[in-house]
Amino acid sequence: MSAATLIARDELRLLRRNRVAVIATTLLVLLTLVAVATSWAHQRGIADLRMRYQQGADRAFEAQPDRHPHRVVHYGTFIFRPLGPLAAFDPGVDAFTGNSMFLEGHRQNSANFGDVRQSSLLVRFGQLTPAFVLQIVAPLLLIFLGYGALARERERGTLRLLMLQGVSRRSLVGGKLLALGAVALVAALPALIAFVAMAGQPGALALPMLVTAIGYLTYLALWTAVILLVSATVRRSRDALLALVALWAVTAVLLPRVVPDMASAAVPLRNRLQTDVAIARDLRRIGDSHNPADPHFAAFKQSVLDRYGVTRVEDLPVNYKGVVGMEGERLTSSLFARYTGESYAAQDRQIALVDAAGVLSPTIALRALSMAAAGTDFAGHRRFLDQAEAYRYALVQRLNRMQAEDVSYADDTAEDVGADRRKRVSATNWSAMPDFSFDRASGTDLARGALPGLAMVVGWLGGVLVLLALATRRLGERR
Amino acid sequence: MTGQHAPIHLRDVTLAYGDHRVLDGLSLSIAAGSVTALLGGNGAGKSTTLSVLLGFARAEGGEVAVCGIDPAADPDGVRRRIAYLPENVALYEHLTAVENADYLLALSGQPQDRAAITEALTAAGLQERAWDQRLGGFSKGMRQKVAIAVALLREVPVLLLDEPTSGLDPRATADFNALLAQVRTRGTAVLMVTHDLLSAADVADRIGFLDGGRLTDEVVANGPDRFDLRALHARFQVGDDRRAA
Repeated sequence: MSAATLIARDELRLLRRNRVAVIATTLLVLLTLVAVATSWAHQRGIADLRMRYQQGADRAFEAQPDRHPHRVVHYGTFIFRPLGPLAAFDPGVDAFTGNSMFLEGHRQNSANFGDVRQSSLLVRFGQLTPAFVLQIVAPLLLIFLGYGALARERERGTLRLLMLQGVSRRSLVGGKLLALGAVALVAALPALIAFVAMAGQPGALALPMLVTAIGYLTYLALWTAVILLVSATVRRSRDALLALVALWAVTAVLLPRVVPDMASAAVPLRNRLQTDVAIARDLRRIGDSHNPADPHFAAFKQSVLDRYGVTRVEDLPVNYKGVVGMEGERLTSSLFARYTGESYAAQDRQIALVDAAGVLSPTIALRALSMAAAGTDFAGHRRFLDQAEAYRYALVQRLNRMQAEDVSYADDTAEDVGADRRKRVSATNWSAMPDFSFDRASGTDLARGALPGLAMVVGWLGGVLVLLALATRRLGERR
Repeated sequence: MTGQHAPIHLRDVTLAYGDHRVLDGLSLSIAAGSVTALLGGNGAGKSTTLSVLLGFARAEGGEVAVCGIDPAADPDGVRRRIAYLPENVALYEHLTAVENADYLLALSGQPQDRAAITEALTAAGLQERAWDQRLGGFSKGMRQKVAIAVALLREVPVLLLDEPTSGLDPRATADFNALLAQVRTRGTAVLMVTHDLLSAADVADRIGFLDGGRLTDEVVANGPDRFDLRALHARFQVGDDRRAA
């Protein structure tokens, strides 16, 4: 048995004989198990709920009676974003943004019903998910178990004792790394088992799961190396503990919460009210389709009449009100797209700032990796918003086209007793409408999105290992 | 074995900590199967000599070799050839006496079975009921005995002892000296630094007087009475007086 293995075995024996260490490790494993179980059950519950509501919304939409198409535009429908199995591991921004949306004409609504908005403020601190446990709690446990690994040996004189047995510094540090790494692996084991369980679920993608597993194991290896680096460098165990807890508080707790606020301050976003007011103002500028004197719609009307070679809307082969509805939707949607694009651009700049802070905090880098691989990052949310808007636009324009082609202008403007009946189209049309089907990102795309975060975590580990190698060379020297 | 081929060889070794010269041209050779005691007052350079041999301190000048290896160039290689018993024994408190010995011997690449370990612990004077007790409640003397057992079980050509009897009662000291005599017969070169003139006179083949980082005097055992204690004491006194002056 090599010296490193012997040292690792003894370090684990020391931890086994330390009641506090055993209890703390057991608690962490239990906590991770609970996090896995509750998060899994929560996500399964949400997925079932979303599926039930989606089916209910589809049924309600299809159960509409014969109806004027524009009333259907305003009747609207709900759509829900299905989440992948990894969302149970890391719900990411999903808890804040929500994954259901009400689609209707003339309006672009945002996603709704996020967990945080329906829960207490405590949820904002951090939900009990496997990702939270491994990102925040596991490093703290490793700190408490490993801060004295080398400092204790120096303090008690056993560092020299080990070296006197001909043990090289490299074997000594290697052995301690092995032992603490084994503890980290035990802490991560429930999550890894959950991973295996998730791999069998529908929608599970191998590549992002692999990247996530590598990312978290690298992150725990990084903390193991950081702990030994500090333990090798400072003079006393107590100083090592203080330094490591401070490092954890700053990099794992403070920065991940402060940096997004700083990014928000650096790149301010319009709030909902400001956006609504700006859109309303721009809509007024575009014009009013009900005002015959409105220059834009007057020109549009003329272009339609010219296209069909007639002089009156009554002579058009299509219902002009439906055509105007399509034009109005086109204009408002392009306006929404412009505002959304501006908002996305600002959010992209904010996210770039936060991601860059991964240089200061490996937890930020890991979080970016984890959410990207799970498809629960902003890019995943944006994918849902984009597809929802595309679906909404197609649905509304299809209904407008139905009004233009299936309801005559004469009936649409008539006000006699039977006019309301004649304005309606058959209810069979509603079930013919295509359902919303969320096109998930491919495994390759998710993994690619996670690579920058992974590169940062690996970079952190590389940097810390270099520093640890330098500290190892000076271990046991007189200072 | 003498000179450069001796297991322990120092020639004109110098070392200073800042302006303070700790070793000042120290020369010493210890042959296989012999015990040399270095006597000297505080600050004479005794512990520094051991540190240089163990590779924990680097000589600034001169020549140092342990079994032909320069400790500064290959400290791990040298340490594999040395068993060292420090004045303040540091062992693992979460381990029992047997586990400590087992662990340290395995690390040194010389694992021993329990029977050999308990035999060495007995030889070192540790009572059987303490073998499987964790070291947390051990006295200094008991720890010393565990460390002695480990040192004895290390079958190495060089044994370095730093005040080896400081934590032992007179009977344990006598037992230790007897053990040391056995070690000598195995062909081990032993260097012992101590204040204990009597113990040195009891086991050493040669006694060197260290003062100001250099060997000022040397006495070799002679005849059945080995050393003239009165003369030894007088020489030691001269060293003390010189330092006081």
